[in-house]
Amino acid sequence: MNKPTPLQIEQLEWIIITSNNAEEVFKKLEEQGIDPVLFGLTDKDFQLLAKNFARIRNHLKVTNDLLDKYKEYYEPEKKENVKDGE
Amino acid sequence: MGFRLFFIGIFISALLGAGGYIFKLQKDNTILKANAIKMESAITEQQELITKQKEDFQEILAANKKMNELVNVLKKDLEDLDKRFNKNNRDFGKLALEKTGAIERIINKGGDAASRCIEIASGAELTEQEINATKKSEINRECPSIANPNYVPY
Repeated sequence: MNKPTPLQIEQLEWIIITSNNAEEVFKKLEEQGIDPVLFGLTDKDFQLLAKNFARIRNHLKVTNDLLDKYKEYYEPEKKENVKDGE
Repeated sequence: MGFRLFFIGIFISALLGAGGYIFKLQKDNTILKANAIKMESAITEQQELITKQKEDFQEILAANKKMNELVNVLKKDLEDLDKRFNKNNRDFGKLALEKTGAIERIINKGGDAASRCIEIASGAELTEQEINATKKSEINRECPSIANPNYVPY
């Protein structure tokens, strides 16, 4: 059984808008030909998003390691062959 | 004459009976030997099975221990993230208001690092740079426990 291909995450850019820079930010977006629309989060929700992201990452790591252990148990010869081939 | 024939008959019958009996004993003996071999084989198989089960149990215990250690270090990464947001009653929103550009750079850098953590958690190979990182300035601060195996927190 082959392991799932590791994820490749697209990079994205965070823009901070405050009551002071909102006009400037939207103007910059328009100058760059980007729709002057932003999907916002409060600082508290940003923290929650970061923590949720970390929780998902931790869960993914545990599940992936568990899969490695099962592979090690059920496919030991295959693993040895891979090591030999290295 | 008749008397002699009678004894010869009895002798031949006894001889045939004894031969048949010996033949039956030999047959029984063969069956018993085969059974004994099967029993020995079954006992050996059972012993091998028990040994394998003991080994499996030890392996499961070791794997569980390792998994618990992993869960704990991942939990610590999460706590560190929380501390970074709220260290010394830090108001992240107020900071972003005062130092918008700087915080924007920090969260973009953190976002990239967090994305890399997801890739590693899903099974991506570590780079040489990640493996060799030992200083705070070199590590992935979002998940040093899985991204930088040679980093010892100081």
